[in-house]
Amino acid sequence: MGGHREKDTDAALLRAVADGDSTAMAALYDRHAGWLHMRLARRCGDAEAVREVLQDTFVTVWRSAAAHRGEEVGGWLWTIAARRLVDARRAQERTARIETSPMDAIRVEHESSVAAPSTEERVLARLEFGDVGTALDRISPELRDVLRATVVDGLTTRETARLLGIPEGTVKSRAMRARAELRSALAHLSPTPLGGPA
Amino acid sequence: MTGWHAPDDLVTRYADDALPEPDAWSLEKHLEECGSCATRVSRAVRETAAGAVLVDVRTAVLAAAPVPAPARRVSNARLWSPRVFLPSSRPRLARVLWAAGPAVRGAWPAAVLLVALGAVALAHAGGFDGTRPLLLAVAPVVPVAGVALSYGAHADPLHEIVTATPSGGLRLVLTRTAAVLAVSLPLLTLAGLLLPASGAPGAAAWLLPGLALTSASLALGSYVGCRTATAVIAGGWLCAVPARALAAHGGHPTARLAEQLSRCLDGAPAQGAWAAAATLCVALLVARRATFDHGEQR
Repeated sequence: MGGHREKDTDAALLRAVADGDSTAMAALYDRHAGWLHMRLARRCGDAEAVREVLQDTFVTVWRSAAAHRGEEVGGWLWTIAARRLVDARRAQERTARIETSPMDAIRVEHESSVAAPSTEERVLARLEFGDVGTALDRISPELRDVLRATVVDGLTTRETARLLGIPEGTVKSRAMRARAELRSALAHLSPTPLGGPA
Repeated sequence: MTGWHAPDDLVTRYADDALPEPDAWSLEKHLEECGSCATRVSRAVRETAAGAVLVDVRTAVLAAAPVPAPARRVSNARLWSPRVFLPSSRPRLARVLWAAGPAVRGAWPAAVLLVALGAVALAHAGGFDGTRPLLLAVAPVVPVAGVALSYGAHADPLHEIVTATPSGGLRLVLTRTAAVLAVSLPLLTLAGLLLPASGAPGAAAWLLPGLALTSASLALGSYVGCRTATAVIAGGWLCAVPARALAAHGGHPTARLAEQLSRCLDGAPAQGAWAAAATLCVALLVARRATFDHGEQR
């Protein structure tokens, strides 16, 4: 589907979407929905919530396409999706707080937000990938989540707090600890500046 | 942009959710700015279990397409005449007439036409030579009646809502009055020209009194509401000119009417007085324009 639209650039597609062009939206969706879905699913264990966030994201694109200003369309889409995910998390947390005690809610949510690779994969990764990868694997999952939300996904401290269901102060302290642990893990892996074996 | 593209193996493993975090992170960052890798990953994800969800969401997203823009263009006309929704396919002239207010699209233009045609028919077919005084006596009241039918709670079912819109208030009153005048002034003056003079003033003599009465109705309407104001003004004119002429003694009724009209309409002093009255009423109307923003008192 999408026909001739498949060759159009993202920016051209967005301009057409702003004018209400359905074929342009179909082409944009086919190009980006897949990876956005995967990226959201890695950050949220609730398949139904992921589906809703994805749909919200593209429905928002109908309205906001005209407001797009030159930045990379992929990054722009992810910004929308990440904000939507944070909002969905907040709403979910509110419901959970009514149903369960706060501590339970946080624990449940936290467990569901961690996409846990199998032990085998961890080992493989440690063998296959470079120092940063190994170092990141050494730090605890809690710290890694904070790093991912702030560094990779570009969320603010407040948004990270909402996404992970932890207080803002905790986000800040974990981010600091994550940096410190990463630094020491890297130092441990390559004690000499030349990166020779320890 | 580095020219680097994700190897197929990385793409497949990401789509299968089998990639450890750090590699997933770097791929995700790359996808934000590389359309071709984004396309490849999206295709790979479509072939996994998530494919069904993606198809569902695609349908929902395409169904949520906004309504095409042309529908918005009608909204301005609808503000003016909220009673009936008019599809944009109607001709432009029809839409303009529709937007011009309740009076122009109701029974009023038919009445104006009837007055004009009736006068002409009476003069030429019936051989009655006193029609021009009659027409001149009735003409100033016609636009006043049009104003009464154009604005206010009784004329417009959505009056209060219309008043609350940015184009409501005095602007709306003036627009609708202009529409009323645009229909009645040329029609009645033309009809007057076609009639034998029979001692009455010129066919255009009623224009200034007509304007004065209309603006007086609007100015008075800012105090007591459009319907009462128009009733008072029209009644006042009818009592002062035709009724008094008919009640007087001596001579033929039409001759007396013509005489009375000449006294009121003919000559520079009379016309000057009507012009002054019209100016005064417009000034009063401008001074009291804010009252039209709050809807009319009942």
